[in-house]
Amino acid sequence: MGSCWSFGEMSWVKYVDQAMDEDTSNPLRRMSSRTRKVAPKMVAALASNDNRTQAALARLEALENDNAGAEMVEINEDDDASLDDDDQAYMRKQSKSTKRKTRQAKALENAKKAPRTFLELVNEANLESLPPHVPSYLRAAVGPPSSTSRRHFCTVCGFTANYTCVRCGMRFCAIRCQTIHNDTRCLKFVA
Amino acid sequence: MSNVVVLDNGGGLIKAGIGGEREPTAVVPNCVGRPLSSKKWLIGDQLHSPSSDLTSASLRRPLDRGYLINPDLQRDIWSHIFTSLLPLKNPSLSSLLLVEPLLNLPSIQRSIDELVFEDFNFNSLFVADSPSLVHLYEASRSPYGLVSKTQTSLVVDCGFSFTHAAPVFQNFTLNYGVKRLDLGGKALTNYLKELVSYRSVNVMDETFIMDDVKEKLCFVSLDVERDLQIARRSGRDNLFRCTYVLPDGVTHTKGYIKDPDEAQRYLNLEDGAQSPQLKTKEGMDRLEVLGKSNDRMRIDLTKNEFGLTNERFIVPEMIFRPADLGMNQAGLAECIVRAVNACHPYLHPVLYESIILTGGSTLFPRFAERLERELRPLVPDEYQVKITTQEDPILGVWRGGSLLASSPDFEAMCVTKAEYEELGSARCRRRFFH
Repeated sequence: MGSCWSFGEMSWVKYVDQAMDEDTSNPLRRMSSRTRKVAPKMVAALASNDNRTQAALARLEALENDNAGAEMVEINEDDDASLDDDDQAYMRKQSKSTKRKTRQAKALENAKKAPRTFLELVNEANLESLPPHVPSYLRAAVGPPSSTSRRHFCTVCGFTANYTCVRCGMRFCAIRCQTIHNDTRCLKFVA
Repeated sequence: MSNVVVLDNGGGLIKAGIGGEREPTAVVPNCVGRPLSSKKWLIGDQLHSPSSDLTSASLRRPLDRGYLINPDLQRDIWSHIFTSLLPLKNPSLSSLLLVEPLLNLPSIQRSIDELVFEDFNFNSLFVADSPSLVHLYEASRSPYGLVSKTQTSLVVDCGFSFTHAAPVFQNFTLNYGVKRLDLGGKALTNYLKELVSYRSVNVMDETFIMDDVKEKLCFVSLDVERDLQIARRSGRDNLFRCTYVLPDGVTHTKGYIKDPDEAQRYLNLEDGAQSPQLKTKEGMDRLEVLGKSNDRMRIDLTKNEFGLTNERFIVPEMIFRPADLGMNQAGLAECIVRAVNACHPYLHPVLYESIILTGGSTLFPRFAERLERELRPLVPDEYQVKITTQEDPILGVWRGGSLLASSPDFEAMCVTKAEYEELGSARCRRRFFH
């Protein structure tokens, strides 16, 4: 795979980028309507238009998870209900069958009992209102890096990646990795 | 006899013991886990027992990002430790020295005080932070060293939940100088899980196994560009390739490195800076069992195993360059420089000369060497850079606490239960100057 390949691919990438500009807003509309398992932060990320940055944030969040599986919620794309009107969905369900606790009701009950996350506690503590000379959790964070630019590693094989996927923004290093990326990972926003 | 309980309540491990002793009595994971097969949550040391099968166990931790979020769960874990691991008959006769994360939130401090005084009825409480304890311990180890003569050090605590660079002066952490990098062992393990799950076997649920893989196989690269080139090679030329065998639940209940020799080969690469470490005894036994060298070379699909190459150094690399992960944070070297710059200029030369590394994530081979290489260009020429590693970075904080608890005026520094009941949490906390 010589430089020839790389050049060809580069221009192709640019071309497609321009062509896709018009409908980058809804590549997600064409997904199946079956219930999929997505991490809670991912739900917000998928719903938003600026999903690349959102997905990047959600992914960093996921690095702090204890369990990969347990923190999943089910989203049903047939239903219009987002996470916020879970309460309504719960009410509706309950009016239908009052005898038995549904799975959703149980989940809701657990959510109420569950401890709040640390970020919620930070928001509650209202640290921004402290005078500027008082050190706090938020001010102790080391700021953005000064000079070093980001290095990119191929999401498939881990070596230096020169190309970006035009659809989802993930990195890959060669056409072989691109094929794998397209088959398995494109638009799934995992890494 | 001292009756001070010293408790380093870390995000990953709880270190608990009696003040004045050298070793903590209990070092157990600060979490509860439930194996797939059972409904009972296992606490702390039960997770380590050989009979429990932790494959795909789900975990709950009382701490999130290093801070206590679930006091109920923490109470269960502590009471398990106090009743079955420590010889603690009656907490109302003992004092507690508790290590808290830096810049704790007032709401969390309140819930900790409730836990200590109302649930456990401790007689008195002293809250310490990890940098000052590490400083204390290092200063006491070499009474004529720079750290104890100047009473100044810069403690870099790279633990499970986050990494802090904290200047310490006269035994107090200068909290205005503290800089935090939101990356620690937990994020690194999760990152490794992600990489391995995508590239070979799905291990997203195997926290304990991947922790083991990270501890045994990951190392810090001194030259990432060059090492990436080496990692590309095939066969024997690839010095980083090694294979980890997952437990099968029948013959092996723990995962192991297929060929420990192979895993150590990267050490020979360098300009002879380090001699190859001794193989573990366990590893030697495995080697004899496996025997034939030719079947070590390829991945055997009938066994559950996976190969690692560039993952071994890309994972710890993130501490030095969090930007590569998409985090908008400076790397560890810059973190240290910013912590130093927040202090008085007179302290700068001393701080750079007394950097102490502590915390479990500094155990990656060559961590200190790489840090020095990154730090040197950022520090003014006329200052010396000296990085000290602790002999046991995981227990360093606890030992400092044990030392402090055995000092004669410890009792006077504590907040007693009576004072707590009289004044409440917030006013008692002012005594600790955090």
